[in-house]
Formats: sequence, C-alpha cells, structure tokens
Amino acid sequence: MSDNEPLDKIIVELRERAKELNCLYEIQELLNRTSVINTEVWEGIIKSIPPGFQFPDICVVKVIAFSNSFQSKNFKETKWVLKSDIFVQDEMVGTILVYYIDERPMADEGPFLKEERRLIDNIAERIGLQILHQQLKSIFEEHQKSDQRKDWWAVLDMLKQTDPKLLVRLSRKMVNYLCWTGVSEANGLLERFSPLVKSEGGKLFSEINKPYQRQVGVNMIELSYEIFEVAGKHIEEKKILDSIQRWTKEDKSDFLTEVMEDSGSTLASISSAIERYHHLIPNMLELTASRERSIKVALIRRILTDQSDFIDVAKHVVEVDSFTDLLHRIIYPTNSHGQLGGKSSGLFLAKQILSASAKEYDFFNKIKTPVTWYVTSDALLNFMTYNNLEEIVEQKYKEIGKVRQEYPYVLQVFKNSSFSPEIVKGLLMALEDFGDVPLVVRSSSLLEDRIGAVFAGKYKSLFIANKGTKEERLVELMDAIAEVYASIFGPDPIIYRLHNNLLDYREEMGILIQEVVGTKVGPYFFPSFAGVAFSRNEYRWSPRILPEDGLVRLVPGLGTRAVDRLSNDYPILLSPGKPGLRVNVTIDEVVKYSPKFIDVINLESGSFETIEIDSLLKRYGKDYPAISRVVSVLKENHIQPARPLGINFSNSSFVVNFEGLVKRTAFLNEIKDILSVLQKAYGNPVDIEFAHDGKDFYLLQCRSQSHGQRSEPAQLPENIEPDSVVFSANKFISNGTIKGITHIIYVDPVAYGELPNQQALLNIGIAVGQLNDLLSNDKFILMGPGRWGSRGDIKLGVSVTYSEINNTSMLIEIAKKSGDYVPDLSFGTHFFQDLVEADIKYLPLYPDDDTTIFNKEFFEHYENSLYSLLPEMKELGNVLKVFDLSKKNNVLNVYMNADKEIATAIIDKL
Amino acid sequence: MSINSYNPFFEAQKQFDRAADKLDLDQATRELLRNPLHEHHFLIPVKLDDGSVKVFKGYRIQHNDARGPVEGGLRFHPQETVDAVRALSMWMTWKTAVADLPLGGGKGGVICDPHNLSDTEQERLCRGWVRQVYKIIGPNVDIPAPDIMTNAQHMLWMLDEYEVISGNRAPGAFTGKPVGMGGSLGREEATGYGVIIAVREALKELNIRPSDTIASLQGFGRVAQYAFELYNQMGGKVICVSTWDHSDQKSYAYKKEAGIDLIELRSITDKFGGIMKQKAIDLGYEVLDGAAWLEQEVDILIPAAIENQITIDNVESISSRVKILAEGANGPTTPDASEIIENRNIFLIPDFLASAGGVICSYFEQVQSNMNYYWEKDEVLSKLDIKMTSAYIAVSDFARDNDLCMRDAAYVISVDRVANACHDRGWV
Repeated sequence: MSDNEPLDKIIVELRERAKELNCLYEIQELLNRTSVINTEVWEGIIKSIPPGFQFPDICVVKVIAFSNSFQSKNFKETKWVLKSDIFVQDEMVGTILVYYIDERPMADEGPFLKEERRLIDNIAERIGLQILHQQLKSIFEEHQKSDQRKDWWAVLDMLKQTDPKLLVRLSRKMVNYLCWTGVSEANGLLERFSPLVKSEGGKLFSEINKPYQRQVGVNMIELSYEIFEVAGKHIEEKKILDSIQRWTKEDKSDFLTEVMEDSGSTLASISSAIERYHHLIPNMLELTASRERSIKVALIRRILTDQSDFIDVAKHVVEVDSFTDLLHRIIYPTNSHGQLGGKSSGLFLAKQILSASAKEYDFFNKIKTPVTWYVTSDALLNFMTYNNLEEIVEQKYKEIGKVRQEYPYVLQVFKNSSFSPEIVKGLLMALEDFGDVPLVVRSSSLLEDRIGAVFAGKYKSLFIANKGTKEERLVELMDAIAEVYASIFGPDPIIYRLHNNLLDYREEMGILIQEVVGTKVGPYFFPSFAGVAFSRNEYRWSPRILPEDGLVRLVPGLGTRAVDRLSNDYPILLSPGKPGLRVNVTIDEVVKYSPKFIDVINLESGSFETIEIDSLLKRYGKDYPAISRVVSVLKENHIQPARPLGINFSNSSFVVNFEGLVKRTAFLNEIKDILSVLQKAYGNPVDIEFAHDGKDFYLLQCRSQSHGQRSEPAQLPENIEPDSVVFSANKFISNGTIKGITHIIYVDPVAYGELPNQQALLNIGIAVGQLNDLLSNDKFILMGPGRWGSRGDIKLGVSVTYSEINNTSMLIEIAKKSGDYVPDLSFGTHFFQDLVEADIKYLPLYPDDDTTIFNKEFFEHYENSLYSLLPEMKELGNVLKVFDLSKKNNVLNVYMNADKEIATAIIDKL
Repeated sequence: MSINSYNPFFEAQKQFDRAADKLDLDQATRELLRNPLHEHHFLIPVKLDDGSVKVFKGYRIQHNDARGPVEGGLRFHPQETVDAVRALSMWMTWKTAVADLPLGGGKGGVICDPHNLSDTEQERLCRGWVRQVYKIIGPNVDIPAPDIMTNAQHMLWMLDEYEVISGNRAPGAFTGKPVGMGGSLGREEATGYGVIIAVREALKELNIRPSDTIASLQGFGRVAQYAFELYNQMGGKVICVSTWDHSDQKSYAYKKEAGIDLIELRSITDKFGGIMKQKAIDLGYEVLDGAAWLEQEVDILIPAAIENQITIDNVESISSRVKILAEGANGPTTPDASEIIENRNIFLIPDFLASAGGVICSYFEQVQSNMNYYWEKDEVLSKLDIKMTSAYIAVSDFARDNDLCMRDAAYVISVDRVANACHDRGWV
C-alpha cells in the first residue's frame, strides 16, 4: 500500500465520507416522503445536515426559501460559514447556510472540508429539483381542472419561461411522432429541424465526404409553437398532454442513457448516474419500457458480463435500481471499464430471480446471500501495471514444464507486490463493512463465461480468518487476492486453456470477497452444512430416479468438500425429487459412505483446516449448530435419529447422514423449488452452491449446470459404419465422452453363469483385479454380467472390491435375459460413491433389447489377449476376455448423451 | 443355465452326503435332512410412495425343527434364488446344532433391492412379509433375524406387525433387536469372545498357558477387536494386526514387537476397523505390507476379516512357531490350504465352531425376550463362556475319538445331533 497515506488517516477519511453519505440519504428520504416541501420537511432538513459535518456539535443551519426562513435551535451567525444557493430552472429561490459556532482548525474552505462543500451543493441541487417537481405538478393539476385546450398551451408557456431547451426537445419528439403517424404537414416542419432530411436521397450519399451543416438562424421556440399548433389539429388534447408529461419524465433519465451509451464512460460515472437515478425514481422519474430495457441491458453488459445468454436471462428479471446496492460494494481502479465476471454475476442474477418469485414461494424471502464485495476484472491489469508485472502475461506461451517450474516464483512475486491506493481504499471500506468475520476470496473469471463454466475449481478460492488489527486484516486480504491473481498463471489453468484453444483470450478475472457463512464453535468457524445442488441428476443410483429429480451433494461444515471430488471421503448424495431413495441403505454402507472429515476455519491459527468430525463432536458437539439435523446416533445394528436434547457427545457414536434435515425439515422440497425456479428462468439446468448456518439458508453461487470436463453431453458422430459399433444403449444413460479406450475386459455373461463352482466364480474376480493392475497405464473399460461387486451369491455378478476395478474408465453391467427374466442391475450401488468421486462412468446394457446394438460377432471372435497377459489364468479364457484394440491400431470411443438417452461405443482408428 | 453351473444348494447337499456317509445314516433320514421340511413361497404387494403397487417375491424356508424352533436370517437381495436360501437354511440347522442350542435352522428372503426403496416402502414391505408368514412364525416356531441388507430397524417393524396381528407383546418372535427394545447386551462381544474361548480351550489341550503366547490378527473389525480384548485379559499379547486402508486401497499390517496396546490402537481406528496409517507411524508402529500378518513368528493366527485369505499361494509363509489357527471370519482358508495346515499339525479351529458365539447370543436374546427379563452383560458373557466351552469340548472330543479333523468333526457332530432328534421324535 501507499506509504504517504497512513492507514489511520484513511480510516478517518472513510468515516467522514460515510457520515456525509448518510446525511444525503436522510435528506433524500425526507424529500421522498412527500411531494410538497412543508415546514416539517424544512425542519427535518435542518436537523439532518449537522451530523454530516466534521464537527456536528457546533454546527448550525439556516435555510431561506422563497420568503420563509428556518434555522437550528441554537442558531447564531458567525464568520465560519458555508453557503449554497437553491436554484429552480436557473432562478435562485433560496439559500442554505451552514455555520460553525466555534473556531476550528482551517481546512479546505475555512474550517470546512471540500467534501462538505460538495455535500451542501448536492443538497441544494436536490431541494431545487424537488421544488421544480412540485411546481410542474401543481401546474398540471390546476390545468387539468380547467379547459383542456389551455392545458398544454400553458405548459408550453411555462416551459418557454423556465426551460426553453426542454421545450425544443419536446417539440422535436412531437414532430417525429407526427411524421410517423402520417401527418404530411409535419414533414415540412421536420425539414426545418434537420438539414439531413432536407438534402434528400442521392445527394445525401454523394456528398458523403463533406460534413453536414446544421441549419442556423431558425427560431426554435417559434418552430416549437408551430409544431404544437399542427399537433393540436391532428391529435386529441389529452394525448398531447400525456405525451408532454411522459417525454418530460423521460427527459430526466437522459443522463443515464447518455452514460450507458457512451462506451467510454467509466464505472465511476456509471455508479454516480445510478446513484442519481436511485434518488430520483420514487416520484420524479419514469422510464418507458423500451428505455428501461435498453438501460438494463447496457448495465448488465457494462457491469456484469457481456455474455449474450446471460444478458438474455438477466434482462427479464433485473431492475435498474437493483444495481444501486451492488455498485456500493464494487471496488475498481480509477477509470475502470471492468466487469464482475461469471461467479459474481451468477449470484446477483439468481438473487433477483428468486426475489421475483417470492410471491409464489414464500420461503424465498428467507433466502439470504452473504455480504459480498466485488473487485472488477480490470483491477488485475491495474495490479500488474502498478507493479510492472506485465511480462508475466507471457507465461502462458511458455512450455508447460517451465510454467510449472516458474509458478512458485510467480506466486512469490505476486504476493510481494502492492495494490494501487484506490484499490487499497476500496478494500479498507470492504473490511470496515464486513467487520472481523472470516472471509473467502474467490475468483470470478470472465473466461469462465465465455466457455460455459468448465473452469470450475481451476482457480483458487482462499479462506481467511480476518482477525487482528486493521492493518493485519488488510495485509491478509491483499495477500489472498494476490494469490488468487497468481493462480491464473498456474500450470493447471494454462494446460486447460491450451487444450481448449483459449490461450489467446485475454484473461480477466474479477474477485469476489464474501463473508463466510457460519458460526464459531470452539476455536473453529464453519456453517452447519453446505453443499452443491444440481437441477439435473446425472448420477442416478436407482432406475426410479429421473434426471429431473435433481441431485444434492451435502457435507457438514464448509462446502469445499461438496464442490470438489474427494479421494478419501464422501459427501451425502440426495435426490430432491426422490428424497426416500438413498444411495446407501445398509448400515455398513451408510457408515462407510458418510463424511468423516469437515472443513473449517481455525480462528486461532487463522488457517483453513480439515479435521475429523468424530473428534470435533466429542469436544464441541453441543455447540455445533443444528447438530440433530446433521447426524444420527449409531448404535449396534441400528441407527437412531438424533434429537436436539439428550445427546451424549462423549460416549455416543455418530454418523453424518442428514436424516434429521431430510425427514424433519422441508429442506429438500425447498431446494427442489429453488432449482426449478432458477432452471425455468435460465431455460437450462442450473447448479447452485449453498450453506446453512443452522438458522438461515444462504445462496452462494448459481450458474448454468456445469459438467466436469468428461461429463458434457456427447456429440454423437455422424455416418457411423454399422460394423464399427460394439454396443449401444438407450436406458439410464449419463453424460460423457470417453475416447481412446485401448482395452476391453469382458466377462461373458452366459459362460460366467455356467461356471461349476464358487471357487471358479471367485477366480474371475481375482483375475479382473490382476488385469486392473496390469492395465493401470492403459485406458480400459470393464463389461460383465449383472451386478459388479456382488457378495455372497456371486453368481449374480463378479465378486470384486472397488480396489480391483479402480483403474477402469467405465463400468458396464450387462443384463442378459435368462428365460423370460431380465435381471436387475446394481447401478453400481456396491461402490456407487467411489465411482462418482473417481468419475468412473457407469452404463447398463440390455443386449436382448432389439432397439440397441450388441455386436456378438465382435465379442465372440475378437482375439482374446488374456492368454498373453495372464497366462496362468488361461483356463478362464472362455469366460474372461481381454480385447486389445491397439493391436489393430484401433481405439474404442464411447459417446453418452443423457439428454437424448443414447450411448454408442464405436471402434475408430488410433 | 446349464446343470453344471454352480448351485449352492447342491454344494450343501454334497457336503451333507459326506457327513451322512460317515455316520451311516439311513435313507429316510438322508432324504429328510437333504431337503427343507417346509418351504413357503409367497407374493407381497407393496404400495410405493408414488401410489403404484409393486409385487415382491418372498420366501421362508424352514430346513429342520427337530431340535427346537427354527432360527435364521431374513435377507433382502435383488437376485436371491430359492436354492441359495435352501442352502443357507440347511447351514443354520448345523450351526445351531454345533453350539448345541435347542433350535432348528431356517432362512428367508425377499427379492428386492432396498437401494430402490424408500424407508417407508421398506417398512410396508416388512409388514407385508409378516402378514404373509404370520401363521408359520413366532417365538415357539420360527424366529427370523437380520441378514444381508436387513437390520434392527427391519426387525422392529416386523415385530410390531406381528404383535399387532397377534394382539400380544412377543419380543421373542424376532432377534437382532436393539438393546432396550428386546435386544441382548453382549451381542457386540459375543463372536470375538467366542473365538478366544475356543482358543483358550485349545491351548489347555496343548498344555500352553495363554500368557506365554503371542498372536497375529487379520482384520480389526468387531470380531477382531473383541477377540483381542479377551485374549489380552487372558494374558496373551497381540503383536501384529492387519487392516484394509480405504484411501490407499490396499491393506497394511501394523506391528509392535513388544505387544500392541488395544486402547491405543482403537483410538486411531475408524468405525470400520480402518487404522489411520500416519497416526500409527507417529505412535511407533512398524507398517508392513498387509500380507505380513500371516508371516509373523507367533503362536496363534486369527484371520478375522474376509473369506479366502489363506490360500495355496501363501500358506507356506506361515511360521513354524504357529500352533493354533482360529477362523474368526467366514471361510478364510481355502480347502487346499486347509489340508496343508492340518498336515503341518497346526491346530485349526474351524469358522463353523469358532464363530458360534454369534448364534449363541442370538439364542440368549430369544430366551431373555421370552422371559421379558434381561440379563446384565456379565451374566450374558459368563453364560456364553459356558455354552462355547462345552460346544468346543464336544467337538474336540468327537474329533479325537473318531480321528477326524476339527472341521469335519464339527460338521459331523451337528448332523448327528439333528439326525438323533429326528429319530427320537419317531420321524424316521
């Protein structure tokens, strides 16, 4: 941060600004309350002004308006005065005088600050506007009572006196209107207005090099009267009056349109225009639908994102005024043209969509979003320029080994760099607003929008405890932002961009600084639970679950464990549309696949930690918010609901299964409603992130449903040669494309069923396990009868544990008809959650279904490589087959598209 | 499907035939015992949550009740076959007989996948099952227990339905209930303790004091932990335990030459018997490959994890010091490996006998439920000791007297007891 502006001074200044703003808001409130400024309002104004000044105790105010004057109780005139006149249409109608009744140190203007000068001028301007509004209104009202004809003539007369420019603009609109409606007399009038029309047709284009001259010397006021004369003949009186009224109001919003349409206007000017708009809207400004729409689109494009899909959705739900609060919390460099990026925009939009539906769904009103501050995307460039780091942009064109090698250096450089003073100022304001609650700093990349959010998780999100002195907190926050910035130049995102041809796009990244939802439990801070919810379920563990039943990944504590796939732990999976159908039903499964760890912020060490739930509950179970909704009590061979009272945390065993949440609250129904409303507005499946602190539900993020890199709906190739199809399927399909499969391990369902004894059946499982190790460096898929991972009666499926299949890319279960009976498949339930976490695709095949393909020729006659791979298992050769496609320079590609319910596996050249 | 393919019921019959040959059973007894006495096949219509109805197929097969009411599990499995249920019901007859309990053997099931059913649907299925079998079950006829994919909750739903129909409270109609709802204390300890009671008796026969022995365990689940506990109390020392590491997807053996402290090891173990590797290293454990448990220089080996662990491939790695192998798991030793172990004069306590503690405790639960008087844990465990000891001695004597290995002796003595009961009742 800048050295010449010590922190304390900045803080003091910020406080002053806050006081001034408050004062302004209060006065605006007073003015909005009534359309007439009466004695009560004047007195209110007099009381509201002193608190906005540096020394309110010795500050007195006097206002003179028209012939009246109002003043503070202990008013006395001194030499320390600040004065601002009130004008209505260039005519002075009053004065505001602010005195200090005691001496104070000299500042910008006597003892007053320059900001205080701005404040009082601003107040004077607003009062002036209000008086004008009052005058116009009374004129309209008066004339409405009397003769209609006189009505608008009177208005014109008044405008001629007070605002001739407006009169001209109105007549210009009127002449246009007359022309459009086919009033021929109007054409002549229009010609006098504009040289363009006068110069007619071919001439206009032939003299294109010569600038057109505006006509001079026309008396515009006269012309205006002429135009209204014509209008009076052709249009009803009331219509004219209405038009004048409408155009006058519209004219007031011109400032907004001008700012928005000027692509050069900075975020600062947009911000002040919106601020002005906010104070005008209650009764002094009205927008036509089309103008409002165009301002909205411009705002969305300038502030949020320029992605057209997003704009399409947002323009229907976002209100111009809803940007007011947002703009108060945006941090941007001077002259910023930046945007907020995907994540920030998504949250903003979702919030608007939900509030728009709150009439239908009462509980939407209770949905909260955490306090969030935004740093615009161009602050990154500002940061790099400020520290002369421009050359780091070249990083992305370097060899990937080099990128990896240099990344720690980049990270260090970023962390040792400083932010420009205006950003520091913004961050300080943010910290003041947040207080000392833990924060999360997240990336909000513009690139994410461009390509549909597959960047998920590629950039860093950092949690900070936000404890200590203001300096310490600021340093910690800046450090985190620098680290998130540096993550752009990390090897993973660069590899990803390389693979997706995105390297040449300029990377701009907004930052989201968000209050972490949660409560303090012992030395830790975390939410009761958090998770991710998808409106479309691509992981169905039962044929009874439909894609539209949705999916929730739920974890105790911070949601990081639900967002990322885990290697040593499991989130709880629930389907909001079928809450009764759980992935895990036996007690063993429930315990095995329940979360064992929890992510928390350790407030003492200030770090993000992963700790064991068991030990957390033993010590702090009683303080865990809504614990009875999160865990159940694990007894021998029995799971009992946990109640809020009477839980013995030191002696009982617990299992995290969210049974209380599912059975005793409307949580899943609410999630279902949220998802369906959002999906409807987006016109696409969506996913959301959320957290719950035990009392309230917080929405943290929303976007069009993202797919893992391998989980996008496959584009099925065209013109497939029938012979090259190995199998196809049309039921219970998930999304994804798996290319370059070199080996197929195939257990022949018929031959497996005929194996003579238990040991022979077990041997197949053992051999599959060995192949799983042998082929760990190849891409292979497993195909076999019935239920993979059967126990006990293993005739129903090959007996394997997860570790014996963990290297496969896909697990395929074949439901071969036996007699009239098609066996039930397991849907991978024996290790469903392992498959999900490892992103191993599951596919069921029904080879006897005539609408699908099962290439018998291939499975029966392709060379079996088992003999060379596992010669000691050669006696299993008629049951267990390994097809090595690479021997013929081929690969297998599997295309799965859940939306179309179709999957096809095709042999292709290597 | 070809007739040559594996059929668990045919296997069970073959095994019975071998015992019958040894006992020279008459034809009628053979016919009676080769097949179940009663088979009930029925349909259970269940209303699903969405209002539709699904019809499930259910079974209850009572193999033999000559020695007393039938006892046996009730499983939910999507691809259950009648022959598998028949085989298991026969197994239960032998299992209750080897422990010399006044019970017969049975088994039941419903063809369903609970993964496709909500809790409420499962409850309706359980109640539907009871309505179909109400007349043929009961505390004095047939007592179902939890099995694959069923648990205490299912038993309580069924018990409730049974009691509603009968108009009585009859907690002895089902076992596997939670403590406080008709369950028995000591159930957790029963199987593991039973294994060690058998080991203790074997040591007596071998004239070795338990405190002079050391042991190595495979697995650290419920059976292994309680076996460890009782073995420690007898003065024995466990130096090696192997368990499955879920995150590394392989097993490790944890060793402390000076003896493992059970409380310490439990403190770094999850609910599944998984030991946290890093913490074990921090506590000074030697972390070895999972197979190392079998190779230790110890007196006693207790495989208490899963089936098929000691095979022809690794049986030779067993140290010459080993004197007893007690099968705490189901079928941990393959038949060929089993033969080698016997030839090496290692005393093998077969799973069938070693794990009888479970079924004994289940019997105790019935007894207590029928009296509606529940024992303290000590009482349950001391009664377990008596039952287990006499079961062991009977098998051991039978083996010695008839020159059979323990595995065969356990099987033959069971068949003998059931055959005698049938005879004494005048059935055959």
